[in-house]
Amino acid sequence: MTGDSLPAWASIIAAVLLVVGGLCTALGSLGLLRLPSFYARMHGPSMGNTLGLGCVLLASMLLASVTSGKAVVHEVLITVFVVTTSPITAMLLMQASVRRPKVPPAG
Amino acid sequence: MSRSLVLAVILLLPFVGSLCAAMLPRNARNGAATLAGAFALATAVLAATLYGDVSDGGVVRAGLAWLPQWGLSLSLRLDGLAWVFTLLVSGVGTLVVFYARYYMSPADPVPRFFSFLLAFMGAMLGIVLSGNLIQLAVFWELTSFTSFMLIAYWYHRGEARRGAGMSLTVTAAGGLCLLAAVLLIGEIVGSYELDDLLAAGDTVRTHAWYPTLLVLLLIGAFTKSAQFPFHFWLPHAMAAPTPVSAYLHSATMVKAGVFLLARLWPVLSGTDLWFTLVCGAGLITLLLGAVAALFQRDIKGVLAYSTISHLGLVTLLLGMNSALALIAAVFHMMNHATFKASLFMAAGIVDHESGTRNLKRLGGLAAVMPITATLATVAAAAMAGVPLMNGFLSKEMFFAETIFASANPWLRFGLPSVATLAGVFSVAYSLRLVHRTFFGPMSQNLPREPHDPTRWMLAPSALLVAACLLVGIFPARTIGPFLDGAARAVLGSDMPGYSLAVWHGLTLPLIMSVVALIGGTLLYLLLYRRRDGALAPAPFSKPLDGKRSFDVSMVVLMRTADRLLNTFSTRRLQPQLALIVLAAVAVTTYTIWHQRALAHSIVSTPLNPTFALLWVVGGACAIGAAMQAKFHRLAALIMTGGAGLITCLTFAWFSAPDLALTQVSVEVVTTVLLVLGLRWLPKRLESEEPDRGTWSRARVRRMRDAVLAVIGGTGLAAIAYVIMTRPRTPGIAEYFLTNALPEGGGRNVVNVILVDFRGFDTLGEITVVGIVALAVYKLLRRFRPAPESMPLPRAQLADGDGFSPVPSGDSLPRGTMRVPAVLGRLLLPVAGVISVFFLLRGHNAPGGGFVGGLVLATGFIVQYMVSGTLWIESRMNIHPQYAIALGLLCAAGAGVAAWLLPGNFLTSLEWHAALPLLGEVHLSSTLLFDLGVYLLVVGGSTLILIALAHQSLRSYRRPVETSSTHVRPAAPGEGSQ
Repeated sequence: MTGDSLPAWASIIAAVLLVVGGLCTALGSLGLLRLPSFYARMHGPSMGNTLGLGCVLLASMLLASVTSGKAVVHEVLITVFVVTTSPITAMLLMQASVRRPKVPPAG
Repeated sequence: MSRSLVLAVILLLPFVGSLCAAMLPRNARNGAATLAGAFALATAVLAATLYGDVSDGGVVRAGLAWLPQWGLSLSLRLDGLAWVFTLLVSGVGTLVVFYARYYMSPADPVPRFFSFLLAFMGAMLGIVLSGNLIQLAVFWELTSFTSFMLIAYWYHRGEARRGAGMSLTVTAAGGLCLLAAVLLIGEIVGSYELDDLLAAGDTVRTHAWYPTLLVLLLIGAFTKSAQFPFHFWLPHAMAAPTPVSAYLHSATMVKAGVFLLARLWPVLSGTDLWFTLVCGAGLITLLLGAVAALFQRDIKGVLAYSTISHLGLVTLLLGMNSALALIAAVFHMMNHATFKASLFMAAGIVDHESGTRNLKRLGGLAAVMPITATLATVAAAAMAGVPLMNGFLSKEMFFAETIFASANPWLRFGLPSVATLAGVFSVAYSLRLVHRTFFGPMSQNLPREPHDPTRWMLAPSALLVAACLLVGIFPARTIGPFLDGAARAVLGSDMPGYSLAVWHGLTLPLIMSVVALIGGTLLYLLLYRRRDGALAPAPFSKPLDGKRSFDVSMVVLMRTADRLLNTFSTRRLQPQLALIVLAAVAVTTYTIWHQRALAHSIVSTPLNPTFALLWVVGGACAIGAAMQAKFHRLAALIMTGGAGLITCLTFAWFSAPDLALTQVSVEVVTTVLLVLGLRWLPKRLESEEPDRGTWSRARVRRMRDAVLAVIGGTGLAAIAYVIMTRPRTPGIAEYFLTNALPEGGGRNVVNVILVDFRGFDTLGEITVVGIVALAVYKLLRRFRPAPESMPLPRAQLADGDGFSPVPSGDSLPRGTMRVPAVLGRLLLPVAGVISVFFLLRGHNAPGGGFVGGLVLATGFIVQYMVSGTLWIESRMNIHPQYAIALGLLCAAGAGVAAWLLPGNFLTSLEWHAALPLLGEVHLSSTLLFDLGVYLLVVGGSTLILIALAHQSLRSYRRPVETSSTHVRPAAPGEGSQ
């Protein structure tokens, strides 16, 4: 698959989606790094990365469909799984933090 | 049945019987005895049917080539000598089983006893029937082992354990010497077959290694036959149940040594060295045993030392380099087996009925046990060499041989005198044994009221005594042909003339016998008058006490081993790892140093900046993991996971989706399991006040380790680089690529390699997976964390403190956990579907049983995490052990299925058909194999998960006072344990 076989409109949309997706993910990671408290940090990856991943999946769907000439929607499955699983992770982490025994920081 | 088949069955029957007996329930006393007796009797009868084939010097052979290129084969060989011993082993074995039925207490777990007895019988038959020397050495060690188990049968007794340990150490060490001698013989002769060896006697005797191999072989034979200086183990082995002593320590196992000497007599004898060593040991043992036997308190002690003495006599005869002496030796082996086994049985009866074997307490039992007394008296008379008994005949042959043994004047007079002296002692101890037990004043205060036992218990002993008398009165008509056949098998055609008769006229040997009888009686009378039967320790017993030297050498051995271990070994992981890395670096450097192979490098792949960045991140993760490993385990683990993800991406980048998929699932499962395990590791010990010294030392140590790690890592990277940048040499890759579809029937080459081309490797690997999972489970079952490493889990605190486990009545947790619980539960069926999808498509597209199994295991992990152990196990029956077992069965079954068609193990079978509705169907036995992999991976991962999960339900060990009762909250689903 080379860029030559793609029509320009598809390339442009895909490129925009990929760049936006990358930025979202970068933002999410930055949030994980910089935000002050655990609960705030939780939001970075769960929001940013999910959005970013969505953009990448859209781009992937678009490119695959244009290349093969029919609708390719496998990525919907990925979206479903990500949407199902990432709340589990986030909620388990938060519950763990909530129930963690509050001990004064040692030393 | 053909002759060779009968021979193989004779050897196999006892082992089969042993297995059957082992399966019986603990209290199956009659069942086990009947079974063992039937198997022993069948062996004896089968052996008897082969007499016609060996009576005229013929040999029956049976063989199975095992590793013919190494001269190793299973080879059985029955000639006259082997036949006599086969019948002896199986015949006495039958009688002993019969006797043991009545001797053993109903409380004893007899199936174990009979099982080992039959196994011993099989091993002994293996020695006798072996036509291959290596095989003989194997059976030799097997008899040592089974006799260990039999001596230690009452393992709750300390003396039994000690005696068993001593006999095993001595005889097994001797067995190793025998193996060394056999290997030397094999080098000299060029074959381990007995037939080849018997034909190469001159080569062996004139070879430069002859002295070495002779000494090694004699150590083997002497340890087994309890010859000086290895005689000390036999009296201690008397802690065994008496049937064992009657069988092993009189009739069979101790005969193995002298049997071997007789077997190899044509090859090894005839030299002065043989004469000196064998005769010397035999003479010392003969006298030592006879003297010591006179001073024993215990009936079995008397019998043990008398056995030592009689075996010395046989050894002495074998060492004389004379054909007539050999015949006498074989004759005495048979005679000794009959009278000594019956004496042991009598000793057992006395012990059984009166409760003691102490000669000082016993006396006058003839009045209450007349039959036992008669039998024992006759047998003891045979032992003493009284005329009209079999012992008299062989002893007379022995006396005759000592007279003509050598022209050397010292030996010419010395040997007969010593022989007569030993005869005197032999008569004295036999007399003492019978007199002190059965005659004299009636003993008082015995533990039990003695009386004759049931007839059946006496029958085996009576049969043996009858044999003693028959052979003693009509030697030529009863034992003659058998003895002739046995001797002919050793000596071949040049048999000397001899006559088996009770009366040879007034000859010198007869005079010696008479002197021994009269002298022995006088000696006993003298001792009896003087010191109430001489219960003082035997003279010279202190300096010749083998047990002391044995104990001393064992202690020295242990201490030396400990010292060496302390010097050269460590239980700490770090030094071991450092040494391994250091050794690897050194070896590799040495190898590479002489090659200028690095010059051929070609670079074919241009550097991609994205990929390089990926690897920078991965490398940073790896380094971070290494740096944090000691200080923050969780961080290190997460960074290891990061490095693993980069590896996955690398696989995907270079178009290996299969590997990437597998790597991702492996990373997920291992990371989760490791995190679960982290919790139970103790905290890192911080020293209170790190002083400057320890701190700088630690710094130096870390620097050293870092340098070592960098050298090792760079070296490995460099080697990988050099190998991968070389022009590719034609290897097996092309073969796999071209043959995967036509031969393996799959387009996914990796999967075809795993389940078909290298199926046997995979079978081994999944077996290891199963074993590891079971080991983890087993280890963690008894594991309780140290109290300081964690507080009690909230689930176990009485007040709960805000903790709300899912009530078993509710199907879903209340509150915030409801959402993840619902979502997580939705995931399990999806994971199941995906895993089966991967399993089915694996043969032609990325996927396979391994990945599928890991996906399903991940599903289970999620269930445990969101719902908790209690909830899950009260609702689902998860039995990973079954999955593991079923998986192994599937994989092995797929392999065995190939045998249905003429194919090798694990050859894939295929079935291709077009069915209505379904279309084209392609089935292959590799799918079954892959299913096995799948089940094993699921079972293994889940089992480890369960083992870890159950930890959180357990408390740490309570302090000492209640340590026996662990607090284990009853998990409703713990039926899976």
